[in-house]
Amino acid sequence: MNVVPSRSSEWVRPVTSHKPASAIIEIESVSQVFQTSARKDHLALSDISLTIDEGAFVSILGPSGCGKSTLLYIVGGFVSPTSGAAKIKGQAITGPGPDRGPVFQEFALFPWKTVLGNVMYGPRQQGVRASEAEAQSRSLIEMVGLKGYESFYPKELSGGMKQRVALARTLAYHPEVLLMDEPFGALDAHTRTRLQNDLLNIWERDRKTVLFVTHSVDEAVFLSDKVVMMSKSPGRIRQIIDIDLPRPRRRNELLLDPRYQKYVVDIERMFDESDGAGGPS
Amino acid sequence: MMSPAAVLKRAAPVLACIGLLAIWQAAALVLKNDSFPTAIEAIRAIPDILGDKESLINILASLRRMAMGFGAAVLFSIPLGLLMGRSRAVAAFFNPLLMVIYPVPKAALMPIIMLWLGVGDVTKTLVIFLGVSLPVIYHSFEGAKAVEQKMLWSGAAMGLSPLQRLVRIVLPAALPEILTGCRTGLVLALITMITSEMIARQSGAGNILFNALDMGQYDTVFAMIIIVGAMGICLDAIFERIRARLVRWSEPQFDMPLSFS
Repeated sequence: MNVVPSRSSEWVRPVTSHKPASAIIEIESVSQVFQTSARKDHLALSDISLTIDEGAFVSILGPSGCGKSTLLYIVGGFVSPTSGAAKIKGQAITGPGPDRGPVFQEFALFPWKTVLGNVMYGPRQQGVRASEAEAQSRSLIEMVGLKGYESFYPKELSGGMKQRVALARTLAYHPEVLLMDEPFGALDAHTRTRLQNDLLNIWERDRKTVLFVTHSVDEAVFLSDKVVMMSKSPGRIRQIIDIDLPRPRRRNELLLDPRYQKYVVDIERMFDESDGAGGPS
Repeated sequence: MMSPAAVLKRAAPVLACIGLLAIWQAAALVLKNDSFPTAIEAIRAIPDILGDKESLINILASLRRMAMGFGAAVLFSIPLGLLMGRSRAVAAFFNPLLMVIYPVPKAALMPIIMLWLGVGDVTKTLVIFLGVSLPVIYHSFEGAKAVEQKMLWSGAAMGLSPLQRLVRIVLPAALPEILTGCRTGLVLALITMITSEMIARQSGAGNILFNALDMGQYDTVFAMIIIVGAMGICLDAIFERIRARLVRWSEPQFDMPLSFS
């Protein structure tokens, strides 16, 4: 796939254009209990409280089974918490809405629609005129590096390309918050790296709020302003770490940066201390 | 210019038919049984049937009942199957009912239905409807059940209401499975059509067949079997064309080349 847009200076905005931080999402003592059998309950999330600032890139990092995806689904309104509440801009979240756009590991594209049809779906649902929705969608498809693939069906695309379509489809209806659920988890290492770079490029253009679930320490540190470390059984927040690395970030520079390396090593050590063997990844 | 292999592939169904007819011809010549006419005798009787106005009206009446029964069954069964696939309550209510009806041969219900509704079109159409409904409900149900939750969540985030999600996500996502059910249903429609006319002898293709049997016109009997078989093949081929067009986007599936398309 040699269709990835090259990095150009117009994509890079100076760091000083940060909006003043204000909370966009508030999670207030959320707990989630799943009934695994008739007698046994599983406490997936225990008393989670978290505030996410507008325009921040926040990763939720933890081992599988720590409830990090569940937390994302609660913010998305797909799952109702057993107790506690999640709010967006002060309003309680009662269900899904176009202000929160999900991107799933499974892509969840509409297989009967072409690439263009998938990306246009949201704007058309929002009542945008067909011609306008198409023009916007075409430029989004170009932005995610899939120009020329507009009339392809999802089954004709590779995993990485599908996830690009899924990202464009979600960006197309202008959600205020992107909810990314291990979006690169099903991709091979090379594709994963490219998508991380491209996501960062796209994100640095308009600084949408992103809530990003991952079990990869590298990925979390590379992308995020803030990493929320979770532990499992029951899922609770261990620690929140601010990633104070300059933006725009370039992978080749960052990998050599001792500050980046220290974040990765520190976070891995903290996970090792908590559960003995193995970190989150 | 087609390669020899491609020509053979195209010609294979035709060759199979010719082969079958040749075996039939040879068997009939060897057995010399009055009730087993040769293939050529049976084929010769076909123009007589199709040229007879009365017979044509009968066959068209059969097809009309079949179309009505099939159409009504599809319109009823797809929404029901989809609802069952997405709602546990609906599934819990209808599943036991369907389990009871499923193994009952629909033709076995005919005498009762005839008692209530007479021997006319309504009874026969209803039997066809019952025969077609179950596979279509079952496949719609399975198709709807298999729809990825996250696909529905994606739709919900775009602002689709539950009804919109059922019509605009579950229906197209389940369409390949639904159409598989419809294809089975189409064959069952033909079978129940003939069976119903066999029980309620009044008009139709099945009526011609069994009247000829009563009168010992065995060439007509076999000619009707050929006609009904050809109708089945044509309907299936047409349906397969439509199906392939509607679900072009879905994964290519290995399928026995049952149709001539």
